[in-house]
Amino acid sequence: MSSSKLKACLSHWQVVLMLILIAGAVIAIAPRFEDGKFTTNLQYGLDLQEGTWLQMEFKAEVVGFETDLSAEQFVDNLHKQLDSEMYIIEDGKLEIRSYFPRETLETAFTASGGRLTSYEQGVTRSTADDVKRILENKLNALGTKDARVNPLTSFSGVTHYIRVELAGVSLAQAKEIVGKQGKFEIRIHTTGNETEHILYGDRITTVGVPSHAQPGSSTWGVEFSLDEEGATLFQQGAIATGATDNPEAHFLDMILDDNVVYSAPLSKELAANLEKEPIRQLYASTGVGNEGLEAAKTLEIHLRAGALPVDVAVAGSGYVPAELSDYFKLMCGIAFIVAAIAVGIVIFYRYREASIVLPMIGTNLSEIVILLGIATLIQQLDLAGIAALIAVMGTGIDQLVIITDEVLHEGKVPSPSLYKKRLTRALGIILVSAATVIIAMIPLALMDLSSLRGFAIITILGVIIGVGVTRPAYGEVIKEILSK
Amino acid sequence: MGLIQYDVNKYSPGQMVVIPMIILIFSLAILGYNLATTGMPVRPGIDFSGGTAVTLFSTDTPDQLKSAFSGYPLLSVGEGVNNGKYLRFGPMDDTSLQSLATSITSQYPDAKIDQIGASFGQTLQQQAIIALIISFIGMTIVVFLAFRSFVPSAAVILSAFTDIAMTAAAMSLVGIDLSLPTTAALLMLIGYSVDSDILLTMRVLKRQGKLEEKLSGAFKTGIIMTTTTIAAVAAMWMVAFASQITVIWEIATVLLIGLVVDMMNTWLTNAGIIKWFVLKRGGK
Repeated sequence: MSSSKLKACLSHWQVVLMLILIAGAVIAIAPRFEDGKFTTNLQYGLDLQEGTWLQMEFKAEVVGFETDLSAEQFVDNLHKQLDSEMYIIEDGKLEIRSYFPRETLETAFTASGGRLTSYEQGVTRSTADDVKRILENKLNALGTKDARVNPLTSFSGVTHYIRVELAGVSLAQAKEIVGKQGKFEIRIHTTGNETEHILYGDRITTVGVPSHAQPGSSTWGVEFSLDEEGATLFQQGAIATGATDNPEAHFLDMILDDNVVYSAPLSKELAANLEKEPIRQLYASTGVGNEGLEAAKTLEIHLRAGALPVDVAVAGSGYVPAELSDYFKLMCGIAFIVAAIAVGIVIFYRYREASIVLPMIGTNLSEIVILLGIATLIQQLDLAGIAALIAVMGTGIDQLVIITDEVLHEGKVPSPSLYKKRLTRALGIILVSAATVIIAMIPLALMDLSSLRGFAIITILGVIIGVGVTRPAYGEVIKEILSK
Repeated sequence: MGLIQYDVNKYSPGQMVVIPMIILIFSLAILGYNLATTGMPVRPGIDFSGGTAVTLFSTDTPDQLKSAFSGYPLLSVGEGVNNGKYLRFGPMDDTSLQSLATSITSQYPDAKIDQIGASFGQTLQQQAIIALIISFIGMTIVVFLAFRSFVPSAAVILSAFTDIAMTAAAMSLVGIDLSLPTTAALLMLIGYSVDSDILLTMRVLKRQGKLEEKLSGAFKTGIIMTTTTIAAVAAMWMVAFASQITVIWEIATVLLIGLVVDMMNTWLTNAGIIKWFVLKRGGK
């Protein structure tokens, strides 16, 4: 290509943008040799990387109810019937944090003076987010380098399943990590830095969600309760250490796996009450405003010592050994190269003109490079993702053929105005089919059907990059190259 | 393109549409039969029905494996090159699953084990069906907005639907299960299908010139598009077959069938309808 043609190509913004994106993508992918091995920044999902996935089902349900009583009264009645944690999430909606079949609930609701109006197994989005946070905390604490936790939420906003992916961990290890609880302990300061053991986390029976100290107060905190023996231990400990006499000098520490996670004095009121009797319902305040709320959320997790607020059951699981994932990765690479060569041969057979075929293949591969570059930032590659890459390559080359055939007549470039008209028409065809594919993929991208989500996201991204940048750029490049 | 001897202008619309419609009726009959007998148009794989799938490498024959795992609900043993074996188990309770997993990992440390609970499979299946329906509705809206004319839009949608229906019927004949990856492949077909259909419709409706010329021009472009894609997918198919990556092999097989079916549906069904539409409108 002569330098004047190169210059002409660079005068089109699509071409410049394409080059910038390719450069950016290469930097993002960062192919390099490290310790004699070829590595990149591409993130691989399971199948292409050793690891385990666990799909867990929440043993809880979100139900609708109607009652003539006040909602509080009704929930109070229901609580006596079912003896399970439950929260009103909005008017007429209740989250029950244990598993009951629909029939059981119907009976219990009727007995409590209300009626069951809807039933869906799962938890609310916010509970699912709590579970996600607890699991992530646990996984981070264990130094698992690559862990992903994804709730699978239905259209009604109820999360029935949550998926955990752990790279480099066997199935048995993964189950242990997810089920494992931390060691939680309450100690009270005696003199100086000395502390005295009061009780362990097994004495905690329930942990509430972050709430205000009193209605209308701006102080956040978490309510929790102890079993009877725990309450007695707590009372005796508080009196023995002198915390009830002088709370300010004898702070209470909460310790999780040897780290102090909360430290505060007993309130005057609590200290006075403890002198008289054991207290089962306790409230740990964490501060005011947003900061207080965040601290309360963290404290809730710590109080649960890594236990999930809702029981989960394993609904599905899988393990990919390292040998197999390396093999998959290698074979996907080979499949990809062989596919690209096959495409090149067919295109060459059709056009027999290196000055058309090379830009075409070049554009096609650029799309893939840009796509991989963006994928390093937002999406792991798994087998479904590789399939999507190949799909993008396929539709990409299809659309380049549409552009080429539309603008060229007998291999010649028409006059600039006619060229522009034809290119616009070709881009029109491409735009319609791109819009169709994007719309067809959107439900999959939103629904989180495990591996299909990555497939849809990569397809949509590929189509957007192709239609927005690389294919118009190709239209300009081919004109400059072929015009005399 | 010399490989395919087909003159898109030679036949009347009726002649063009009759073959695909007979095949479509056949396909719908197969799917309908499956639906009536099993409750699903295509046999669901473990992703949707629940169960356990194990991929391992072993020199044991399928019969040896069958007797080795006779204590578990083993449904089938698939064989590939390189001694790859693909074992499918039906749903089982948690304790048998644990003991199966332990015995497999101790004998074949490189085995890949996937297990899906029956109710989770149900949920996935329902969600996948909803996704397919929404995809189709969305696609219909886009196509109608683009052409603003009933017959051409309906032809594009019909041809995409026919692609998927025929491919799904072929899947049940070949014995490929409906799983998450093959659902993805069916959805990919929507993309490939509308590509050539929209090219055809745009060329015929929005361009000046003789109908014959526009049709054969579109055919020339369209056939090279599909051939390129087939070449890419066939390459993928061969590598996946040789290396025994079941997932990619299944995706590639479904796509290959779908692309061949799509050629027929674009250049017989859709071309036939659009030809009839233009001739009826005034024969321009």
